[in-house]
Amino acid sequence: MFRMLLWKEWKENLWKLLFCGGASVVFTIMLFRIRIIPDYANCILISFIQMFAVPVIYSLDIFSGEISNRTVHLLFKIPVPRWMLFFSKYIVSAVGIILIFLISGLLMEFMSQGREATVLFLLGTNSFCGMAALVLFTWFCAFGCQSRSEAGSLVVIFGVFIGWGIVLLWSNLCEVTWAERFVPYSLIMMRITEVGIVGTLLSQILAFAAVLSIACYRHVSIRRYL
Amino acid sequence: MRVSGIIHQQICQLKWHLLACLGLIMVLPVEEAIVSLRAGDGFFSSGMTSLAVMFGPLLAGLIACANVQGDLNEKLYIFWRSKPANVKLLITIKFFTGLIASLIILACPVVFAFVSNIIWNEEGIETVFFEHYLPLLITIAIMTYSLCFACNVLVRKTARAWLIGMLTGCFLLVLPFMLPLDFKDFVSDVMLWSWGPYLAIILATPTAAFVFALYAAKHDWHLKTNLKGLLWVGAGLAFLLLMLISSQVANIKVLHEKEIELEFGQGSLDYAGSRVVYQGDSYIDNDKEGISFRKIGSGNVMTAPYGNIGTDSAGRRIYYGPRVAGYLEAIYPQYGNRLYKDTGNEIFFFSIHAYYRSEGQGPSHKRFYEKVYLRSYRHSGDSWMPVSELDISECLTDDIRHIRMAMRLIDDRLITCVNNSFVVVDTTNPEELKLINKKIDVLQKYRPYTNKDRKEEFAIPLVPVEEIGLQERIRFSIDLNYRFYNYRNDIYKSSIVDTYDDKIAFVFIDWDDVVRFDVTRWDEEKIYCRFSTSRPFTILEGVTGTPDRFGPRFVKNGNLYCYANSTLLVFDIRSNRRIRKLGHFVRMDYDIEDIAVLEDGNILLGMRWDPELVRNRFNERKNYLYLLKNPE
Repeated sequence: MFRMLLWKEWKENLWKLLFCGGASVVFTIMLFRIRIIPDYANCILISFIQMFAVPVIYSLDIFSGEISNRTVHLLFKIPVPRWMLFFSKYIVSAVGIILIFLISGLLMEFMSQGREATVLFLLGTNSFCGMAALVLFTWFCAFGCQSRSEAGSLVVIFGVFIGWGIVLLWSNLCEVTWAERFVPYSLIMMRITEVGIVGTLLSQILAFAAVLSIACYRHVSIRRYL
Repeated sequence: MRVSGIIHQQICQLKWHLLACLGLIMVLPVEEAIVSLRAGDGFFSSGMTSLAVMFGPLLAGLIACANVQGDLNEKLYIFWRSKPANVKLLITIKFFTGLIASLIILACPVVFAFVSNIIWNEEGIETVFFEHYLPLLITIAIMTYSLCFACNVLVRKTARAWLIGMLTGCFLLVLPFMLPLDFKDFVSDVMLWSWGPYLAIILATPTAAFVFALYAAKHDWHLKTNLKGLLWVGAGLAFLLLMLISSQVANIKVLHEKEIELEFGQGSLDYAGSRVVYQGDSYIDNDKEGISFRKIGSGNVMTAPYGNIGTDSAGRRIYYGPRVAGYLEAIYPQYGNRLYKDTGNEIFFFSIHAYYRSEGQGPSHKRFYEKVYLRSYRHSGDSWMPVSELDISECLTDDIRHIRMAMRLIDDRLITCVNNSFVVVDTTNPEELKLINKKIDVLQKYRPYTNKDRKEEFAIPLVPVEEIGLQERIRFSIDLNYRFYNYRNDIYKSSIVDTYDDKIAFVFIDWDDVVRFDVTRWDEEKIYCRFSTSRPFTILEGVTGTPDRFGPRFVKNGNLYCYANSTLLVFDIRSNRRIRKLGHFVRMDYDIEDIAVLEDGNILLGMRWDPELVRNRFNERKNYLYLLKNPE
């Protein structure tokens, strides 16, 4: 049954993969061909835009779509545990996000061959942004899995972006290192500065697992709409 | 309908949204103020207020969407439509109530910054941002508010309306950067003043959006949207925008790119007749397969050492230059560039060598120039050998602390300028330089460009060189006047003067535009010039870096080529009515080291990639040679 759920979500969200993947490929080819800015700057620019745009597109209707279209009633009547419903959505979205970043990272690496950046630098940078995007999306799931409309989802995802931005700013200004390690954006800073890699990764993994559990719990506890 | 009642209802409806926006916009300034207080500086905010205000346009859009949605969502709208309400009045009140509320929200961090700085900051508030950028941000916020309002009246879905409104706002703001497809140069063909369209767009959009919202509500226009469709359209628009921007700043096609192994020096490009010499040791050939090098001579040629051991015309070994130890040397042309003369069988180059003593260190460091020689080198076997020399130390006269050097080869006459003196040398036989004329202290001090030159006729001193034609004299005089401020000049190989149909014009690069002047008349002593036209740099050109007043620039075949660090701009300056941009090439983080324009108009660029900031992340310094297509 879980495979069927995965298949349903895959079919429903394939357009997001095609859209984000297509746009990433087109913009990567374009920017790497005109080269107004150097390859590494192009990579950072594209990766940053992807890091914010891809989670937004995935989060717009991943949960709220079922509620606003009233299909959540049908979904909850399928004889499967609720966590499977959540994870089918989450896994499909996560695979989509990973695929998009992988495609664009490999393309960047291919197009920049023999140019300024060292081998695998662009792929690595893009992948770290992809990881940050996935973490941001996971945080969205924790807060937005019960949202009823696109507007609600949009507010939640922007809230996650801005909220972590504020935490990052505060932890930097007040030099609170432990808090900084939990900020998804610190994955990118870690890539650039190569400082506190182990601490950041451990903190991120811990936070990731906790947030995913909370998100799953919150999705399972959607009862009032039935 | 009671207006005051509607306003009250609107404010009550919006209060939670307003409070949320207020919280969002005040977080950063308050956070900064708390951090400042903890640091013992006082409870005030400065930098973060600017950042918070920048979010103002986004929040204004959000308030607009919430404002419309409060009354125009499907069920409520049916209720409103069933009442004898004046739709236009309702929408008007709604629009202005929300607008004023969003402006108040926007004003909060500004007021907070002003008040907190006045009370707690001893140094006072930094007003640059508030004076220059705040009015612009406020007008942009009004624009985004109006756009989101109109979009939501039409779409009736908050998130989609906000996205559409913001995308439209971005599109309109970037519009002045774009090049319309059927125009070659947006600025000279369409715009007269680069900020004009911005102001027009920012001011006209709210009015248009408001009128549109009134009509949409009145006629109950309702656009059914589809998320997928919207995203594809948005991506398409972004792609179109990027294409148009790139057509503005990256419109010179790279025909070939070649990495060069260069251990020292810079990639110099000089002309030897119709050929181009790279680094003094190779001719550059370009064909369908790209750029290739052909060594000068048959052997392995070393880079010219500028040594002073050579031969005289009889083939005897001879030492050139001063025979006194302790001198340092300044050479013109600099950076490995040379003034070549190709006689068919052999190739020579000329250079000026100034010898100086150095005294003191740091700020009290002084140079004393004591000897100057004009020397010719011949390529023989595997190196460049000095073959002839003229002592022109007399040109230094009493000014020995500074030196300016320049030269130009016109037919077989080599005019060499050192400080305010010049010599004319016959180079028919480069192995035996013959002095034809020498004039000491006759070059007048160069006349700097001032803004007054655009308003009235001005005069440039005519160089008293009798040995060359009048047109060349005028050209040389103008070049000396504007480019002979030190010895880092390209007078030996290029000119800023364009001669066409017996008309003489020259160009000057000002801080924010390219200016063309026409030579109107001349007499025995002076050349009279008049402002002709100018072409301002666009905002986008400014962002990518524009050449400065003292940067390298030259005119060839009616085109002006000017570059700065990573940017090359090509303008058509032949018309005295308008200057048109033909091409723009940018490679940020690269340095353009030298440039040569080939006979077919294609451009050779010597470039260097030198990652200073992130050296350990990238390969070390690399040199490239680019062949660019003629930007016709």
